[in-house]
Amino acid sequence: MASRQSRAAATNGPRDAVVVGGNRIPFSRAGKKYADASNQEMFTAALEGLVARYGLQGERLGEVVGGAVLKHSRDFNLVRESVLGSSLSPATPAYDLQQACATGLEATIGVANKIRLGQIESGVAGGTDTVSDAPIAVGEGLRRALLDAQHAKTWQARAKALAQIRPGDLKPLTPATDEPRTGLSMGEHQAITTARWGITREAQDEIALASHQHLAAAWESGFFDDLVTPFRGLTRDDNMRPDTSAEKLAGLKPVFGRSLETPATMTAGNSTPLTDGASTVLLGSREWAESHDLPVLARVVDAETAAVDFVHGHEGLLMAPVHAVPRLLARNGLTLDDFDFYEIHEAFASTVLTTLAAWEDVDYGKNELGLSGAFGSVDRAKVNVNGSSLAAGHPFAATGGRIVATAAKLVAEKAAETGRPARALVSVCAAGGLGATAVLESV
Amino acid sequence: MTDRYTKAVNSGFTQTLAKKLGLPRPAVLRRYRAGDSLTVGPVLVVSDGASKADADAIAQTLLGWDLDVRREPTDDVRWGAVVLVLTEATAPTDASEAVLATGSVLRRLAGNGRVVTVSRAPADGDSPALSATRHGVDGFLRSVAKELRGGATGNGVVLTDDVAVDDPSVLGTLRFFLGAKSAYVDGQLLRVGPTADGVPAADAPEPATDRPLTGQVAVVTGAARGIGAAIARTLHRDGATVVCVDVPAAGEALAATANAVGGTALQLDVTAEDAGERILAHARERHGRLDVVVHNAGITRDKLLANMKPGQWDAVIAVNLAAQLRINAALLEAGLEGLRIVSLASTSGIAGNKGQTNYAFSKAGVIGHTRATAGLLAARGGTANAVAPGFIETEMTSRIPFATREVARRIPSLAQGGQPVDVAEAIAFLASPAAAGVNGQVLRVCGQHLVGQ
Amino acid sequence: MTAAPPRTADGRTLRVETQTGLPGLGGLYARGAAASGRIAAGRALPSLPVIGTGRPASDDDGEAQAALVLPDVAYRVSGVRTAGLERHLHDYQRLLHEPVGSTMPAGYLHVLAFPLATAVMVRGDFPLPLLGMVHLRNVVEVRGPVTVGDVLDVRAWAENLTAHRRGVQVDLVAEIRFDGADPSEPPVWRGVSTYLAKGYELPDAEADGQRGRTSRPEVAPAGYDPATHGTTSAASVASASDGWTPPLPTGRWALGPGTGRAYGAVSGDRNPIHLSALSAKAFGFPRAIAHGMYTAARALADVGHRRADAYRWTVDFAKPVLLPGTVDVAITPRSDDDGNPAPDLTGTAAGFDYVGWSSRKGVRHFSGEVTPL
Repeated sequence: MASRQSRAAATNGPRDAVVVGGNRIPFSRAGKKYADASNQEMFTAALEGLVARYGLQGERLGEVVGGAVLKHSRDFNLVRESVLGSSLSPATPAYDLQQACATGLEATIGVANKIRLGQIESGVAGGTDTVSDAPIAVGEGLRRALLDAQHAKTWQARAKALAQIRPGDLKPLTPATDEPRTGLSMGEHQAITTARWGITREAQDEIALASHQHLAAAWESGFFDDLVTPFRGLTRDDNMRPDTSAEKLAGLKPVFGRSLETPATMTAGNSTPLTDGASTVLLGSREWAESHDLPVLARVVDAETAAVDFVHGHEGLLMAPVHAVPRLLARNGLTLDDFDFYEIHEAFASTVLTTLAAWEDVDYGKNELGLSGAFGSVDRAKVNVNGSSLAAGHPFAATGGRIVATAAKLVAEKAAETGRPARALVSVCAAGGLGATAVLESV
Repeated sequence: MTDRYTKAVNSGFTQTLAKKLGLPRPAVLRRYRAGDSLTVGPVLVVSDGASKADADAIAQTLLGWDLDVRREPTDDVRWGAVVLVLTEATAPTDASEAVLATGSVLRRLAGNGRVVTVSRAPADGDSPALSATRHGVDGFLRSVAKELRGGATGNGVVLTDDVAVDDPSVLGTLRFFLGAKSAYVDGQLLRVGPTADGVPAADAPEPATDRPLTGQVAVVTGAARGIGAAIARTLHRDGATVVCVDVPAAGEALAATANAVGGTALQLDVTAEDAGERILAHARERHGRLDVVVHNAGITRDKLLANMKPGQWDAVIAVNLAAQLRINAALLEAGLEGLRIVSLASTSGIAGNKGQTNYAFSKAGVIGHTRATAGLLAARGGTANAVAPGFIETEMTSRIPFATREVARRIPSLAQGGQPVDVAEAIAFLASPAAAGVNGQVLRVCGQHLVGQ
Repeated sequence: MTAAPPRTADGRTLRVETQTGLPGLGGLYARGAAASGRIAAGRALPSLPVIGTGRPASDDDGEAQAALVLPDVAYRVSGVRTAGLERHLHDYQRLLHEPVGSTMPAGYLHVLAFPLATAVMVRGDFPLPLLGMVHLRNVVEVRGPVTVGDVLDVRAWAENLTAHRRGVQVDLVAEIRFDGADPSEPPVWRGVSTYLAKGYELPDAEADGQRGRTSRPEVAPAGYDPATHGTTSAASVASASDGWTPPLPTGRWALGPGTGRAYGAVSGDRNPIHLSALSAKAFGFPRAIAHGMYTAARALADVGHRRADAYRWTVDFAKPVLLPGTVDVAITPRSDDDGNPAPDLTGTAAGFDYVGWSSRKGVRHFSGEVTPL
């Protein structure tokens, strides 16, 4: 019964949500061009570029949804504040959302779903992150003492509360990207997954090299001319190294997994650097896009999120998309062969490789994915064809928007070129054992 | 971008000091603000005897613009403008009375006043006397413009091809010269011909309208900053929907311009092979039409020719000239009706400039292709014109060394640099329906910087 | 208040001596509970300082071995109210990364009950010295949740005096029941802490028998001392790395220099070897060392809610963790009966093994299991 209903819904149920386009600012390595740019400034800039590209000045959009992984307490209404600082109508609602590195994609899914439900006609999804301007908190001892002092009713009680402060409490706490439950950094987690799957250094460096080469080629070809608006004098992603080589990458020292028994393979070259940046994606109903004379790049077919138990070492921290995609494709009657593009977020080169390896593994397919065998193979030539996070950098919450806009443009161009529909699979892994995936299709 | 000198000699103690010392005191130019009167005072319309009917017609039109129009010079008035109509003068002596009448009121011409001649262009087959007379107006106007003080300017409307003085384009040009929009246009004579075939009369709106570009879509290249941004703002003010084009690297400023004018930003290198097609596609798909293209994008790579490297020469030619040609070809192929193309030339392209052989080649080339394109567009009711700015106070010219900049500022009759908006106003005028009869022309916005035509 | 006298694992029947309150839980936290009059808030144990009466064995002193007899006594405190312990419990839970709530983790119950076992060890007739004893192992069985507000009955005694390669070991048993519960039923919480007194000997036959019966690893432990004073030296501890290959870690603990002080404050165990580098040096350690039970309780917390309501939690201590320090940890789900890796997330896992080690030195600090009962 339930399945019949959902199938019915899939055929003549919700209307389409379409990707009109996207805009991001160039991504910049932490501490460089955007060293003094706040999340709000970056997200506002990305939003302003989007408004300019699509002539949305004064437009009341259905909503703007985004977030940041590293967020100041003052930014409690980060996205709304950005909207108010933009040329959009101040009557555009907004809310903040956070799903670690999947924030941007989750925001896209949320906006698309509301559009499909008819609750809104248009919306912007995105994200921003700065490591350069990350919040710094006070130590727990100081925090408690300050709170106690604030709550104290008499000055004596206040003085007593403040007297609890010890010199050690004054040390600031910088945000850690370590997993709270395991104490392992994301890199260490992935190093474990990498070791478990036996991914080689060479294979990882190959992915990294391709990422830089593909991204550089895409920039050269003007692919990003209508996807990126410069910011603070930066016109291209400054992590990109068009001139890097297999030799250069091979010369880097491993930084993760050095304490493992197996040889460490993950270097600064095949891992994403800490990055600042912001991205946005403009979505709407077909009718809205049409009535606003806006282009339509792709429709958001469906999305699936997943989570894995990494805490007990059962699964790798970044392997959730591996589980999400089979469910997503099954629901839509698709197989891994049905795609023209695979956008797999390169948190690390080995993330891509472990993802592909797991899908190709028969036992894994049976035991972990509940399939009759291996999930399937992916044509490597269709993976991250215009580069991904290794080259562009990875400002956590901003990556989803970058990938969605890129994938949408890719399928639109492919369809225009071949005259046939084109489809892209988007996969973003995230801290906390999370993963978000989506299917985009040309229209 | 502020001209501190002009400010200083026009305000406060430094103004008094400058007067006493007899320092040149460049005037503060009156610039267009919505709602301001067209002229700063009554308008005197004078003519030679044969041109009286034309003068009457003009006076009638000016009355219709709510101006205080007089036909006789008097001493009790601070004149806002003098319109000298010499359309039907056939012998040099015909003009004497009217010219002297004009002279008699110049001492009483208000600051930011206007002298505008209306005359006819010499044509093949003119008698020597007629030709002399018509040429004479040219020398007269350029000279009287140099004599004017206090921000007053002198410009001329030159009618070609038997066009009537009450032709909308003639009146539109006259209005431009009379008003504040031509603040930095001085000593210029603009030729106005009949409106091209195929443009229905109804399409030529009342020239007095505040938003002559309403409903039109305009593309401005190089719109991120400076003159380009001012053009976008001005076209938007005049009612156009503006597509702001600039290289992707200028995107941040471009977005700011687009958002300020409620237009769209198109990050595009105009030297791209398909730039014309992409501009056209963007305008059509996103805005449904394309009416105005302003070729503003330009670069300088100044070097003495002896030191010129191929890259420096080629880049300037590619951006300033070749790109415009390629885009124009695409636009022509698209066969747009009534398309207005306005290109940025430069006084360097007219008079030459040391260290700018590449730039001057490109800008003279712009003038050349504008003249050639004019005829091609006229067939579909369009026009191609060029605007040649002189010294304009921009981010770019602010980088010129102080002494050089100061000299450049004081050379023009108006003794100051122009503002980006001055260029923009000239372009907006040439893009407007009122300038339908202006085609293949080069309008200098230089404060009468140059001698000669 | 009738309670059947407990029988020990080594077959003795014990005399129950009822105490007026739980000793040892010093400091602020116990005050709320102390107000009930049932938990003594005194820092000092009933008869501290007391040195064990046993003496180190020597080849020429055969009589000394005759003194190695455990007292046939169990201490009991009944009516222990826990209603005032909420804040203390929360501090414990935050420190050990347990979810904050009213259910007491097994490690917390150890903190609560174990001072009574220590009190047994400081009796004048206890045959081994409290000072210098080494915590080898701990086994806890939890049969259900104990929550704040429960009134508890706590007993403790010593048993299983057996030979060890390096001396004599003894089990200190503590049991917690709900007040009024049938003492013949298994306790809701039972903890067995095994200690080594180095340099002591048992008669050979007995020692052999014990060795044969136990399967305890021959890793030489060090460092944990149950008393508030005195310690053993870690210098004599053997390497724990023989032939052992670290698994892939699932977690990493960055333990700051204050880890020992923090756990000391919460547990009441302020042994100087845990508090500072200076005080630890005085007892032969290069730096302060982490409480063994802290590391075991962190591991238990890492297993998290997937431990069932009833579970067995063990730890074997190897090399002490020097502070500050980093410990790599692997929590490994056990295979189910079919040998499958138990991938399901529904809580029916066959349990977990865990191990903590120094990745830098490649030596184990501790290992254990958390398995359903």
